[in-house]
Order: sequence, then C-alpha cells, then structure tokens
Amino acid sequence: MDFELAADQQAILEAVEQLLTRHAGPERAIALSAKAEYDSPLEDALAEAGFLDLARGDETGPLEAALLVEAVARAGGVIGVGAAALVAPLLVDEELPRPVALLPTQRELPVRYAAHARSALRLEADGVAVLSLEPGDTEAVASNFGFPMGRVQGGRERTRLGPEAAERLRAWWQVALAAELAGCMRAALDTTLDYVKKRRQFGRAIGSFQGVQHRLAQLHVAVEGSRWLALEAAHAGAPVEGAAVAAAHAAQAARRVFDETHQFSGAMGFTREHDLHVWSMRLQALRLELGGAPAHGRAVASARWAGDA
Amino acid sequence: MEFDWSPEEVAYRREVQEFLAEALPDDWEELSRGGPGSDAQASFSRAFCARLAERGWLTQSWPRAHGGADASPWRHAIFGEEMWGIGEPRGPQYMNVNWIGPAIMQHGSEEQKALHLPKISAGQVLWCQGFSEPEAGSDLVALRTAAARDGDDYTVNGSKIWTSYANHADYCFLLVRSDPESKRHRGISVLLVPMDLPGIDVREIPSVVGDRYFHEVFFSDVRVPVSCRLGPENEGWSVVTYALQHERVGAARYHRAARILDDLAEQARARGQLGEPRVREQLGEARALCEAARLLSYRVIDQRAHGLPPSADANVARVAATTAEQAVADLAVELFGSEALVYGSYADTRFRWAMTAGVAVGATEVQLNLVASRVLGLPRE
Repeated sequence: MDFELAADQQAILEAVEQLLTRHAGPERAIALSAKAEYDSPLEDALAEAGFLDLARGDETGPLEAALLVEAVARAGGVIGVGAAALVAPLLVDEELPRPVALLPTQRELPVRYAAHARSALRLEADGVAVLSLEPGDTEAVASNFGFPMGRVQGGRERTRLGPEAAERLRAWWQVALAAELAGCMRAALDTTLDYVKKRRQFGRAIGSFQGVQHRLAQLHVAVEGSRWLALEAAHAGAPVEGAAVAAAHAAQAARRVFDETHQFSGAMGFTREHDLHVWSMRLQALRLELGGAPAHGRAVASARWAGDA
Repeated sequence: MEFDWSPEEVAYRREVQEFLAEALPDDWEELSRGGPGSDAQASFSRAFCARLAERGWLTQSWPRAHGGADASPWRHAIFGEEMWGIGEPRGPQYMNVNWIGPAIMQHGSEEQKALHLPKISAGQVLWCQGFSEPEAGSDLVALRTAAARDGDDYTVNGSKIWTSYANHADYCFLLVRSDPESKRHRGISVLLVPMDLPGIDVREIPSVVGDRYFHEVFFSDVRVPVSCRLGPENEGWSVVTYALQHERVGAARYHRAARILDDLAEQARARGQLGEPRVREQLGEARALCEAARLLSYRVIDQRAHGLPPSADANVARVAATTAEQAVADLAVELFGSEALVYGSYADTRFRWAMTAGVAVGATEVQLNLVASRVLGLPRE
C-alpha cells in the first residue's frame, strides 16, 4: 500500500503534463468543440510518446493508464482517452485503428466520438462486438454536452468476444469513466475555486462566505474519494465490484459538482468565455453513461451481495 | 503508488479475525449493542484487552522503548478495522492506545510515563476525555474549567460535558485554564486526573442515543497534584493539537459502517427486498461511500507511514466517514420502515449508533472549515 507516486510514475506524469500543456487545455477544447472536431493531433502525440501503451507496458499497467486518463480529462483533451489508453488495450490484443468508440447495447443512443471513430467496442448481451468503421458507418449528432457525439449505424464486425469479455468491457469502461469523471470534476472544482477567490460581492471574495466554503469543501471530499476509487480499481485490474463502486461514486459526485460549481460561478459560468463549461457539460454526459449512478449502484449490489432475491 | 496489502498484512488480518472468532463470547452481538461505553462492554474490555496485551497486540503500534513493537501504521490500521468492524471489544480503551498513550510518551515526565504507560499496555485502565464544556463545544478554546495553583496542587473548579466513559474511567485527560487572565489558546494546561479524587461528581445525561452514553463531570475544589500536569503549564494547547491529530482517524468507523451495510444486505435478502432495483441502488451507492471513506482514511495512514506531518487530509477523511455512516444508518431505517421504531430492534440500534457521527470528535462544520482554509485555500475575511 503506497499512495505516493513512485519516481517512475512521477516521471511519466510530468512528461504527460508537459505534452498536455502543448497539445491540450480549455482554449483548445473550446475551439475544437465549436467545430465538433476530434483532437487527432493530441491522440497521435500521446501515441507517439508511448502513453497509449501504458496499460500493457513491461513496467507499467492499468494504474499508470488511469493516471493518464485522469490527466487528459483534467486538461480538457477532446479524445476518447479512456477507450484508447485503458479499455481497448485491455480487451483486445490487436491495436485497433483510432479513434476507438465505446458503444452501449442500445443502438439509438448518442455516443462520445462515434462520428469520428474508426473502431468500436460494442457491449452486447452475450459478448463484445469489435467493429471496424468507415466514414459512412457513422453520423454526427449535435450536442451541447462537451463531446463530439454521434451514432454508429453500420460497420464491419472484425471479431466477436464471448460473455466473459462483456463483463470485462463493462468493468474497464466503468474504471475509465470514473477516472475521466475524476479529472473533469477536479478541473471544474479548481476553476470554481479560482473564481470564488477573485470574484468580490458585498465587499468581499464570495469564497470567504462560509455558506460557500462548506459546500466546496464537501465537493473536494467527493472528488478525492472518486479519484482514489478509480485509481485503486485500475490497479486491482477492474474487479467487478470495485469498478462499479468507482463509477457509482464518481457519477453521484458528478451531479453535485455540476450543480454546485455552476451555482458558485453565477451567470459567468454559463458563458463560453469562461472555462467551466468545458468540464461541467462533460460531467453530465459522463455521469449518464452506462446507465448512470443507479445502474452502477445496482452492479455493486449484484457483485457484492450476489443472488438477487 | 500501489494498493496491495503485503502477504504479511493479509496473514495478519486473518490472524486477528481468527483470534476474534475464538476470543469473543457467543453473545457478543448482544453484549456489544450498548456501544463501547456500556457497563457490559467496559467490564468486558478489561478482560479482553489483557488478552490482547498478552499477545503483544494491544500497544503494538507504540515504540519498543515504551513496550510496543513499532508496528507499522498499516498493521495498526488493520487491527483497528477488525476491532471496530466487530463492535470495538476494546471498549473505551481504543482511545488509550491511539492517542492518550502517545500524548503521554510525547509530553509526559518520566514519572508519568512510568505510572501510566504500563497500565495502558496491560489493558487495565479506562480513560475519559475531559474536553467539551457547556460553553466550549466545537469552539474548544473557549473552555473555562479553572485550575488555580496552590502550592504543590491545582484546585480545579468547573464542569465538562458529553464525556463518554466518565462513568467507568479511572483517569480523565482533562483540559483546564491554568491562567485565569488568559484567552483562547494560551493559558490552557492538560491534567491527568485520577477520577477517584474527592470533589469529582459524574452524572449521566439521559439521551436518545442510549443509556450511559453522555455524562457531565463536575469538579468542585478538586485538589490535583501539580505532578499530574502533562507538558508545560499554560501550553497545553500544543499537547491537545497533537492528541487530536491522532484521534481524527483513530477509529475505523468507516469499516464498521461497511460491515453493517453487509449485514443490512443480508437482512434485505431475508426480507425479500434484495431484488428491488431501488434497494440495490441504495445499497450499492452506500457501499461506494464506505469505500471512498476507507481510501481517504488510508490516504492519511499512508502519510503517517511516510513520516509526513499530519495534514487537513485527516479532516477530509473524517467528513467522508461521517457521510458513509449516515448513509448506512438512513438506509437501515428505510429498509425496515416502521419496524425500526421498536426500541432495541436491529435498525434502531444501528441508527442510534450512527446518529452522533456528524457531531462526535468535532462537528462536521469544523472539519469543513479546516478543509476550506487549509486544503482549498479559501480566504477567511
């Protein structure tokens, strides 16, 4: 048990942060999102530096990949980093053409990055369909929720994995979701903290009011809890219960973080010139994925207290 | 960063569990319902802690120089989890080991160490904590209980309130104002007071939490030898701060909450409720809160294991544990519905156990103040 980063983990994260300083950030996210574009240069830069191989590295594993996912989410990266760095490498041996989208069983739902995806993993009742996608196989869906969204209508099934893979896909997806949520929540909270320290009303910083402070402190507790749960679940190899626990906690926390960070950011928080929306709108999309907190909660119960009746 | 228990730690947890299975009486469940301050648990703790002492477990986290085994903070945490998880058979003695003993080691005279540490190590002494007063609760530094120097004694007058275990305690870790002119943090001293001194009167405060849970302790011209003072006169606040840092995460209440939740799930199954989607959601979400509290507490233990100074992360952990406990208690009564209203029923005892969570050991609002200022850097103004 050790909660401090080891020297090599520290070095990886520093290199990741340096890369993200050049290739990501809220300004870039806002520009890309106006055109509903995917940040292929960022994804290529991460791939070139070897960061998308962390999950299956000789000296690294899912924990390091989860740390990457969290960092990219914090930087507002417009890429499916959870799918590319964590879920896909741990589900299929071959390297799938990027971008990779994660598809729920219900085909009509809008999905993050589907319109740009060249591959997809679809959760089916009895397994996982690994799809190759051509531009004509997908359509874009307009969305206000921070990600380029789309639907997959066609595609060629490259492989079909069995029921065991469906459980693995769901668990790694939950871990990736939890890590992305943790990163987005941290950035939304930090942005709000900056704002309430500077914004003055009634002759004082609004962050000096106890009514504001306590609620922000509670958010910090919820965000930190989500982060450690995601990292522990990644390190443990996405156990069914631990993965669902991480996703349930993060999805519950995300709703509060959205509500409260917008509340404290006032009307400014709704504008596109203020950074908050880069993360807050994504929180809504992420917290609903895979059925949201209720579904994650039920998954926890099934895993821990097996036998439903 | 990694989150595995070592093979030794896994084996140790199993050893503790096996010991508990053998050492606790068949009616432990019933016996433990009154909480660590009940007569039954207090007297049980003397026999039980003596057995822990024999095995070298009671004060294993202490330095060897004081009869401990320099056990790692992780081993101490595993031990604490197993004890709390089963309902704390150490009774009030967990406080002795977690922070009263360490405070005496840090600040005590040789005579005080020689008097108190062996008694604590043997599991034969019960302490209570004389902190809160009627006008000094969360605002502890407003305390007024006076200790006037008179030759080789202090004459103590005043009262303490909410004092758990005062009915059984042999000693009180007492905060007094030793300089009548002083204000706030200055002028406070710590006295290690034998509870059988003349002039000490303990009265129970009836409460909805349970019998013998809260007490008021009155001090009327109690003569306490100066040799009972812990640390320098009027500088007791630094002693208290040190003690509180050890206290915050000393009790693995998150683990107790998680065990109760497991129990609740079994109850729900027996009652045919486990198939209901809403019940499963609530159980799962409460489990997530317990797990978050566990990791946030581990974060603090890890800092201790790395020799880092105490930080406000302890307050973060405490808030998370409170949230988890309350979620589990609320779920207990919701699952049982109106059946929970029967005194002594399963849900009733669980609910009463958890209802003090946001107030005990410093109100949640105080914890949130500290998180806001020390972690988030929010301005005071």
